[in-house]
Amino acid sequence: MKNINFRMKQKMNEVFSIEPNDLGVNILTNYFRKITSYLKTAPFILVIPLTISISLFLYIIFGKLLVRLVTILQYGY
Amino acid sequence: MATDLITSFVLVMRNFILLIISPYKTMRKISLEKDLYQPALIIGLIFIYFKFIYYLRDRIYPATLIYLIFVINFFLTISFFYLLSKLFNKNKKEIKFYSFVFTFIYSMLPTLIWFLSTSILYIFLPPPRTFSLMGKGFSIFFIAYSLSLLIWKFILVYLAVRFSSKQNFFKVLTMIIYYLIWFIPYSIFLYQFKLFRVPFI
Repeated sequence: MKNINFRMKQKMNEVFSIEPNDLGVNILTNYFRKITSYLKTAPFILVIPLTISISLFLYIIFGKLLVRLVTILQYGY
Repeated sequence: MATDLITSFVLVMRNFILLIISPYKTMRKISLEKDLYQPALIIGLIFIYFKFIYYLRDRIYPATLIYLIFVINFFLTISFFYLLSKLFNKNKKEIKFYSFVFTFIYSMLPTLIWFLSTSILYIFLPPPRTFSLMGKGFSIFFIAYSLSLLIWKFILVYLAVRFSSKQNFFKVLTMIIYYLIWFIPYSIFLYQFKLFRVPFI
């Protein structure tokens, strides 16, 4: 029982190590919490489709410039 | 010591996978870590990476020198955020330097993955990229891949500052903007000296 209490206390300390975010305006705070909830767990579910769409969009807009950018980036390591 | 190292290596691997699955909870745990073997292992991996790319690059500077400059950059970064957090926080005892070391060293993982994969791709698919269908397809894939890692990096850096400094969203954002104000010109300076093309942060 003592062990469970100790672990519970430890977990509570960990969870409440920082204050929750408050952006000042309720609507903003709610939207912020909604958006960040997608990024807190398994962000790649959202990130991968988003980045594929962005890169396709960039290719449509910039065309060959994007290919040149990749060449520059490949020398960037 | 060997068993401690193996344990820390397993923990690093575990945390690495968990940073992909649930970055928030994992970074919160990392900010309370005290096992010094973990940052030592990650910093060791980074050293191995610099040794590896020495043979691919123009070999202007020795790998150890580039690595030392990275270590200086890293400590400048964490010291900057640490001092700024001390300035912003009323309860100064709450701010721990080792918390910055742990969270920031783990936030180096996306950087290490990008640099390592780019250098491996340099061997198998050397630039320049052509305007053929395959070249365009690879370019779209590479940009999507780089952007994904960049977003992951942003998430990890934000969480690193948030959990180590214990500040709210606006203050964390302000700190990152202050950091970029001096770090962008500093990166250009490093680029001019051909030390880093893309800043290793």
